[in-house]
Amino acid sequence: MIKRVAAVILAAAIMVLSVGCAGRTEKNIRFRVVTSFYPLYIMALNITEGVPGVQVDNMAGQQTGCLHDYQLQSKDMKNIEQADVFVINGAGMESFMSKVTSQLPNLKVIDSSKGIELLTDESGEENPHIWVSISNYIRQVSNLEKGLSQADPQNAEAYRKNAQDYLAKLSVLRDQMHRELSHITHRDIITFHEAFPYFAEEFDLNIVSVVNREPDSQPSARELAETIRLIRGSGVKAVFAEPQYPKSAANIVANESGAKVYSLDPAVTGEDSKDAYLNAMEGNLKTLKEALD
Amino acid sequence: MMSTVYYLIDTFLPFEWTEFSYMKNALLAVLLITPLFGLVGTMIVNNKMSFFSDALGHSALTGIAIGVLMGIDNYLISMMGFALLFALCISAVMDSGTSSADTIIGVFSSTGLALGIVLLSASGGFAKYSGYLIGDILTVQPEEIGMLAGILVAVTVIWCLFFNRLLLTSINADLAASKGINTRFVEKLFVVIVAAIVTVSIKWVGVLIINSLLVLPAASARNLAKGMRSYHLIAIAISLFSGVSGLIVSYYTGTAAGGTIVLIAAVIFFFSYFLNRARANN
Repeated sequence: MIKRVAAVILAAAIMVLSVGCAGRTEKNIRFRVVTSFYPLYIMALNITEGVPGVQVDNMAGQQTGCLHDYQLQSKDMKNIEQADVFVINGAGMESFMSKVTSQLPNLKVIDSSKGIELLTDESGEENPHIWVSISNYIRQVSNLEKGLSQADPQNAEAYRKNAQDYLAKLSVLRDQMHRELSHITHRDIITFHEAFPYFAEEFDLNIVSVVNREPDSQPSARELAETIRLIRGSGVKAVFAEPQYPKSAANIVANESGAKVYSLDPAVTGEDSKDAYLNAMEGNLKTLKEALD
Repeated sequence: MMSTVYYLIDTFLPFEWTEFSYMKNALLAVLLITPLFGLVGTMIVNNKMSFFSDALGHSALTGIAIGVLMGIDNYLISMMGFALLFALCISAVMDSGTSSADTIIGVFSSTGLALGIVLLSASGGFAKYSGYLIGDILTVQPEEIGMLAGILVAVTVIWCLFFNRLLLTSINADLAASKGINTRFVEKLFVVIVAAIVTVSIKWVGVLIINSLLVLPAASARNLAKGMRSYHLIAIAISLFSGVSGLIVSYYTGTAAGGTIVLIAAVIFFFSYFLNRARANN
């Protein structure tokens, strides 16, 4: 009896495994792009759209968010190993990169942060959330297009054309954002987490305070009290939380200080759609106008 | 109702740390949770079940994961359901007497933790839920305080009605059975109480330290107490004291409230330990 059960289980396991393997070799993929996380995945989707034989894979998955303290799993290494190019944000976001390059010295890596001036916080650490500023995002898209064209020259023309289309849409949105945000009355904001310095710099917003720099820990009671007093004293009207993290702390601050909580999206998670970044930024524009006018 | 309580706090405790209502809520929650933990902790220490309550805390992680997978917003329901199932499973396997109690609890404890980690990390990153590991007492809502008060009343009533039976079962189950006590039922009742209070408070106390809050006050009280009554009273007093002072200290030092409370309880334990030794030597 036990032998028979074991045989059935073994057979089932082999079937599952072989079906799992079949998925990989089925398609005719000539050039495989693996991106480290969501914003780069959206860029790569736009640039490679309609190019035959190119596959874009996102290493960290759509809902992971920022790669703070990301633990590389063996499936990630396997994914990267099979890539023709690995696209990273750079600026220190992929803290695991040294592990990857030591394991795979021949891997071709495109660093999208090339040429972007980095902001540092008080402790001198570089802030990696560059894509949240739409101008930086535009540079990242250009960097990525150049990198892909070099790695896959036979499709360079298609990449260039796609990138141009995408950049055109982005710069229309950027101009619109600058125009509509140029005459808002309040410019002081309070944010949770460290995602928005580049965004604030671009639109000349003044981040008075950042509560809770570490994304997955809760602010202490004293930190909350200091923030509330700061808001009461400064006339800040709005605190901005991110949809990726729980709003409980932001709600506490808002309730006590009379400010309102709004949600700003750093476009770091979302659906599998090539317009996701554009949509997120349009949403942010609406939110900011509502919150700060 | 809440505004009256806030007014009372403002009148009797006009300090900096009670200025904001999240601290008032946290204080009220501590005033309700800690006596509960002190009370139930006495029996946990008596019954040598501290490892068991730890396992229940770990199982909460799986309960959360099940809630996430089923798309429930309020994880309390899935946590409670899973913890009860888990507790009754442990107690059933222990009754079968195949392995020693600590082995069985160890097996369940690690299974609960591992299953929780696997399920939570599969559905998109564990980091989102890491708040449950250390807990956050500052996010207590007024309606949750009402729920805690209800649980405190319910547990106190059950305690008064069943205390003699609980105690006799814990000291000598055979004797209890010969007196006509349904020992199985009494044991299960206790297990259910522990499961309920652990899951209800895990969001604010955290998986990693919830068990210390159950065990430490009772363990210190055992060092100091001279009889059953003083054992209970001292445990509740120590629990309350470390809860309130831990909350205040955490406000001024900017540290996590749960950990600070447990540290104070631990300091009290070592005091009581040395006091007890000094007394024994004299």
